[in-house]
Amino acid sequence: MAEETVLHHPEIETGHEPFMPADEFASNSPMKVSYGKMMMWYFLLSDAFTFSAFLISYGAIRMSNAWWPDPNHVFNAMPFMGHRKIPLGFVSIMTFILILSSVAVVLAVIEGHRMNKKGVLKWMLGGIIGGAAFLGCQAWEWAHLIEEGLRPFYNPFGPDEKGLTHLVHETLTKSPGPVAFGALFFGITGFHGFHVFTGVCLNVWGFFATLSGKFEKVGHYEMIEKLGLYWHFVDLVWVFVFLAFYLL
Amino acid sequence: MSHGHILGDSEYKSQVSAVWKATLYMGIITIVEVVIALLWMNYLADSLPRLMLNVFFIVASALKAFFIIAEFMHLKYEKRALIISLAVPLVFLVWAIIAFSWEASAWFHMKGLVSP
Repeated sequence: MAEETVLHHPEIETGHEPFMPADEFASNSPMKVSYGKMMMWYFLLSDAFTFSAFLISYGAIRMSNAWWPDPNHVFNAMPFMGHRKIPLGFVSIMTFILILSSVAVVLAVIEGHRMNKKGVLKWMLGGIIGGAAFLGCQAWEWAHLIEEGLRPFYNPFGPDEKGLTHLVHETLTKSPGPVAFGALFFGITGFHGFHVFTGVCLNVWGFFATLSGKFEKVGHYEMIEKLGLYWHFVDLVWVFVFLAFYLL
Repeated sequence: MSHGHILGDSEYKSQVSAVWKATLYMGIITIVEVVIALLWMNYLADSLPRLMLNVFFIVASALKAFFIIAEFMHLKYEKRALIISLAVPLVFLVWAIIAFSWEASAWFHMKGLVSP
């Protein structure tokens, strides 16, 4: 009965809304969006405030210090490159990986609108691989920085000072930098990485749910859309983490 | 799309090409950001104010954020009511940025008084 009334709803028959889901809620809601998608949007809004609070406190602490480590000197290592210094190289690759993973998930959502199960599976897999690759890169970067001596409570990247060994030849010794740098770096990239990890887990679930034909049976792939929204949000946050830690 | 309504071929093609276009723009923005950062490090750092570089980075990041939200998250195509309900609360962030920058400069000066 309910199904029939939905099918003959005039707004849906002639609707021009590209992504209007067909349940009763969506067709009656002024926002023309299903309950689940709307709540995902508001969850993401609240999460945006959490990340903003972190990044704004990072900015405030950084601005209140007379000296701050130069990102081009802290983040300049690259795997398989030994001691060659490549500022921004590795993080740019990480950014590309995350953007491409996001693109894969958008394409999965579009395939979902065509009820193309194979297409959804293919692109979801792409998204999962991208997310996992990003996590791998981040693990490498963390390991590298921990090896350099960076801790949440200790920051070895300080201003250069003339060393005491000037009798032999003048050398520069590093003095420790602002302590907050390590805590902020591990805290914020860690919180973002935790979001990426959660997203990968959710996407893996979405992949297997698609594989089992769950969404085909329901008649739409809206769940993939919701997973997609979360995944793009993770990408969005990375843009600002990249800006705050690596570019500015 | 509604139950059983399958995306038409032309709609499908235009949506896919919009996604790839946004990807291309974001890729170009990221490459330009990195190139400018490297140019700055090697040639420009001594002659131009750092603020210029920072403003460029912030604008470029805002553009990337726009592409992600508008195209990837598909918000551009949603109802205006939803867009407004998501955008208006973000006004608080403008306040937060101003308030905390102000506070940070006060901390900076206080630190200067304690240990010159």
